[in-house]
Amino acid sequence: MSRYAVNSLLYRLKKDRAFRERFNQDPEKALAGLDLTEEERAAFLARDMQRINALGGFLHLVMSVPGMAVHVTHPDNH
Amino acid sequence: MGKIVFAAAMSHVLDPDYYEAACGLTGRRTVEACMAEIRKLGDTFLGRRPDALIVVADDHLNAFSFNAVPAMCVRIGRHVDRMNQDEAESFDKALDGMPERYPLHEELANRILEDGLQAGFDLALSWEASIDHAFLSPVMTMHGSRPVTPLVPIWINCFVAPQPTPDRCFALGQHLARVVGRSPWNVGIIATGGLSHFPELSLPRVGETDTVFDRKLLHWLQSGEHEPLRALTTGEIHKTGEHEFLNWMVLIGAVTPAGADVRYFGELPRINMAAVEWRV
Repeated sequence: MSRYAVNSLLYRLKKDRAFRERFNQDPEKALAGLDLTEEERAAFLARDMQRINALGGFLHLVMSVPGMAVHVTHPDNH
Repeated sequence: MGKIVFAAAMSHVLDPDYYEAACGLTGRRTVEACMAEIRKLGDTFLGRRPDALIVVADDHLNAFSFNAVPAMCVRIGRHVDRMNQDEAESFDKALDGMPERYPLHEELANRILEDGLQAGFDLALSWEASIDHAFLSPVMTMHGSRPVTPLVPIWINCFVAPQPTPDRCFALGQHLARVVGRSPWNVGIIATGGLSHFPELSLPRVGETDTVFDRKLLHWLQSGEHEPLRALTTGEIHKTGEHEFLNWMVLIGAVTPAGADVRYFGELPRINMAAVEWRV
């Protein structure tokens, strides 16, 4: 597990619109050559932010990457 | 002789739409109630004719990437821009519609930095980093449509381990007070973020807060008991979701031994929202 690889990829997906579009169009090609484990690669290909967070992805990134962000909601019981 | 004329700490996603999406109408009403108190704090602050506003806040991996994550960083220069995030989601949308550029108090920032290095605080500096909602949501709620007071943004690394200790943040605040005391200016200081949310920065635990711990912190703030706060560990802070309390620790160091008044405290499943003013 590489915390740096996961987070630098999340950061790039958030901040680099052109890269984000390449990832959205052809995720396998966009991730080719990146220093990710198979588990990390699979999590990104599945756009599984829960898994990415569990693999060390920073919470504020998994909650704010455009188009991939997790939106956690809480029922209004009041 | 300069003086800290105002000190307050407050939650920093001041966006009713964000909290309605997360927590329903209770979320909207809670943040609106908190914002109403923060607007009053803004009136108090501006009524004291301040020359500068020090804003102690954290970065959410917006200003700083992985080429450098400063433990403590002072923004210098003449102006600062707000962060621009294309297709912004979630808390990043809190910046929507805000002005692009804000004035800085260049001389105060330079003194904090230069005197800090002389005094043993190896502060990072930035001429270019932009500021996100952690700075601007409180600043704009306090100022409304009035001109923004020249700012001195200071970042504390609240999220990327290893973070600075609470006691070191407190010591930085004491340094700020010394610099202001030697200056000719009336200065306000705010610390932003919190209270308890996102324990252990774990996505499955989003929605948990530690209200008991929050109430303990608020009790110590009200009574001006700062020694137990200085003894907090980064481990406790991580476990209880009090990461952004590190920003508050800087402010506490700047105003110690002053006690505080809690202007707002409201519980949500997402976060406990607060606004606190110190008796300076």
